[in-house]
Amino acid sequence: MPILELQNLKKYFATQKAVDDISLSVERGQIFGLLGPNGAGKTTLIRMITGIFYPDEGQIMLDGKKFDPIKDVGYIGYMPEERGLYKKMKIGEQTMYLAQLKGLSKNDALTKIKQWFIRFEMESWWNKKVEDLSKGMSQKLQFVITVLHNPKLIILDEPFSGLDPVNSNLIKDEIFNLAQNGSTIIFSTHRMEQVEEICDHIALVNKGKKILDGTVKQIKQDFKENLFSIGTEKMPSLNGTAPYEVVGSKAHSHIVRIKENNKPNDVLQYLLRHDTTINSFNEILPSLNDIFIKLVEGTPTARQFQKV
Amino acid sequence: MHKIWLIIKREYLTKVRKKTFIISTILFPLLYLALIVGSGYLTARSGKQMKLAVIDSSGFFNKEKIAAENARDSSNILTLVNINPETLKMNLDKSGYDGFIVIPASANWETGPTKLTLQTDRTLGMESITAIQKKMNDIWTLVKNEKLGIDEPKRKIIETNILTVSPVNIKDKNANSGIASVIGTVSAILIYIILLLYGSQVMMGVMEEKTSRIAEVIVSSVKPFQLMLGKIVGIGLVAFTQILLWVSFILIIYNISFAGNANAMSGIVGGVQSVFTATNIPQTLFFFIFYLMGGFFFYSSLFAAMGSAVNEDMREAQSLSFPLMMPIIFSMVMMTAVLKDPTGPLAVWGSIIPFSSPIIMMVRIPFGIPGTVPWWQLGLSMTLLVAGFIFTTWFAGKIYRTGILMYGKKPSWKEMMKWAFRKN
Repeated sequence: MPILELQNLKKYFATQKAVDDISLSVERGQIFGLLGPNGAGKTTLIRMITGIFYPDEGQIMLDGKKFDPIKDVGYIGYMPEERGLYKKMKIGEQTMYLAQLKGLSKNDALTKIKQWFIRFEMESWWNKKVEDLSKGMSQKLQFVITVLHNPKLIILDEPFSGLDPVNSNLIKDEIFNLAQNGSTIIFSTHRMEQVEEICDHIALVNKGKKILDGTVKQIKQDFKENLFSIGTEKMPSLNGTAPYEVVGSKAHSHIVRIKENNKPNDVLQYLLRHDTTINSFNEILPSLNDIFIKLVEGTPTARQFQKV
Repeated sequence: MHKIWLIIKREYLTKVRKKTFIISTILFPLLYLALIVGSGYLTARSGKQMKLAVIDSSGFFNKEKIAAENARDSSNILTLVNINPETLKMNLDKSGYDGFIVIPASANWETGPTKLTLQTDRTLGMESITAIQKKMNDIWTLVKNEKLGIDEPKRKIIETNILTVSPVNIKDKNANSGIASVIGTVSAILIYIILLLYGSQVMMGVMEEKTSRIAEVIVSSVKPFQLMLGKIVGIGLVAFTQILLWVSFILIIYNISFAGNANAMSGIVGGVQSVFTATNIPQTLFFFIFYLMGGFFFYSSLFAAMGSAVNEDMREAQSLSFPLMMPIIFSMVMMTAVLKDPTGPLAVWGSIIPFSSPIIMMVRIPFGIPGTVPWWQLGLSMTLLVAGFIFTTWFAGKIYRTGILMYGKKPSWKEMMKWAFRKN
C-alpha cells in the first residue's frame, strides 16, 4: 500500500491552474523526486500535501486513509524552499517550540533535539540566536527541525541549496538513513544530478500537469535512444548491412545508434567480423537533465497567466 | 487548543522579556513619579517672598492695615514707604525691594475703579500678580469698610454668608464631573496608547513571520487562524500585563506619597484621594479592562490582516495601517467634545460604534452609570464591540490565511476583499 496517494488533485488560482489534475503514488521508504521547472506547480502541490492548502478537487490519501491536515501533522515533516526561522529567538528555545507545535511532548522534544544536535555537532548552538548563524548553518538547523519528530513522510524543497559539499553529504547521508529506517522522502528540486544520485522514483510536473512518472532506471530506459559508445582506434567502413549508424566521433571513441530490430550483440558481431579492436563498449543512457530539457523544452520558460 | 496555547506562550514570553517592554513598563511610572515630585517641588519653590514698596499719596493706606494683611498672607510683604517714586525707580536694585506700587492722590474709595501699576525689574507670573492684586484689594476693602462704617460682625455677615451651587446628578449621587473628566481622559489616553502601540506590534509580528518565511513552517503544523489568534491573544496579554503593572505602580507610589504626606504633595494626593471616594473604582476598572481588551481585539486582528498583506516593504506597512490608525486618532480628537457634553449625540454614537467606542465610552463611563450612560447604551455598545471583534477576527482570518503565504506584489484592497469573502 502506498504511503501517499494523490487522486486527481486540482488547485486553481485566479490567474493560474496551479495544479491541474495530478495523480501520484509514493511507496513507503521511497525517495521520491518531484521535478519541474519554476512555476510548474510543485510548491502548490506540496502545500496541499502538507495541509497548508486545501485542494479544490481530488483526494489525498495518507497511509490508506483520507488525509486530515490537523490530525496528521505529526506524520509529516516539511522543509520549505524559503527557509524560515525566528531570527531573534534562541536556537534551543525555537527548536523546542517548533517540535512541540508538531505534537511532541516537552521531554520527548528535549531528548530528540539533544540527539540530533549531537549528531550534527550543533551542541554549542543552544543559546545562540538564529541571526548569528551562517546560511549553511541555518539550513542544517532547519533540516533538524523538519525531521525531529520522526515523520513518516518528509518533504524537502531544495534541501541542498546553499550548502557546501561537506554539509551536503552530511544531509544526503541522513536522507538515505531516514529512508532506510522507513521514512518516505519527497524531494523537490530542479538540480538533476542530485536527483539521479538520490531518488528511486521521480515525477515530472510542468504547467500544473504531471508529464512523467516512474523509477529513474525505467525512465532512462524509456528515453534511451539506443546509443552506444565504442572505444576503438578505427571504425570499419559502413555498408548497407551494418546494424548501426555513427552519430559522433572523437579520437578514440565513437558514438553509434543501433538501428531498429538490432541488438547490441549484432553491433559487436559486425565489428568483430571486420577485425576491429574493441577497447570498450558502453550503453549511453540519457541523463535526467537531457530528459528534463527535452520534455520541458518548447514550453515558454516563464509560465504565462491564463484564464481559468 | 494545546497548540494555540504554545503560540500564546511563546508570543507572551518573547515580548515580555524584550528590553523595550521592561523599559516602557518602568519608565511610565517613573514619569508619573517625576510629575508628582517635580510639580510639588516647583510649587514649593515658586513661593519666593516678594518685597514690595507701597507709596501712598492718597492717605488711605496705613501701617496697621498693611501689617494685618502681611500677617494673613506672607507670600509677599508690603511696606508702606514715604519716598519719591522717581528716586526709588532709579535705585530699585539697591533698595532691597522687588518692585513698588504708587497709589495716586486721585484714588477715591467711593468711585472706583482705580488703576494701579506695579513697577518691577522682572516679568512676573500670573500667579504672583493675582496674589498681589488680591492683597491690595483686601486692604482696600478694609478701607471701604471703615468708611462705610461696617464693623466686624457686619463684615463677617458679608464675607461668610455666601451661596454655593454644586451639581448633583439625581441618578448618580457620587458623580463629580471634574474627577470624571480626569479619569475619562486618563483611561482614553491609556487605551489609545495601547491600541496604537500593541496594534502595530501585532502587525510587525505578522510581518516578521511572513518575511522570514517561518509562517510556512508553522502553518504546516497549525491552522493559520490559530497562529493569528495565538499571536493576538499573546500580545493582548502583554498589553494587559503592562497596564496591570502600571496601575499597581501608580497605586504603590500613591500609597507611599500618601503615607509620607509631604507638604508639597498633599494637594495632589488629596486630589487622588477624592478620586477614590467620588468614583466607583471597581466598576470603572471593570469597564476599562473590557473596553481595553475589546478595542484591542477589534483592531489588532485587522492589524494582523494588514501585516499579512505586506511584503518586506515598510512603506507598504504604513499605507496599509493608515486607514486603521485613522479612527483611533479620530476618537482622541472627539474626546474633547465628549468631555464637554458627555450626553450629546456625538458622545452617544461615538460610544456605540465599535470603531470609536473603546475610547469614547471610557470617557463617558466615569461620569456615571446610568446617569450619563443609560444601561441600554452601555449594553448596545458592549454587544456591538464583542460582535465587532468576532467579525473582524473572522474577516481578518480570511485575509491572513491567503496573505501570509502570498509573496510578490502588494495586494489591492479589492483583492483583499475577495480573499475575505471567498468561500472555504
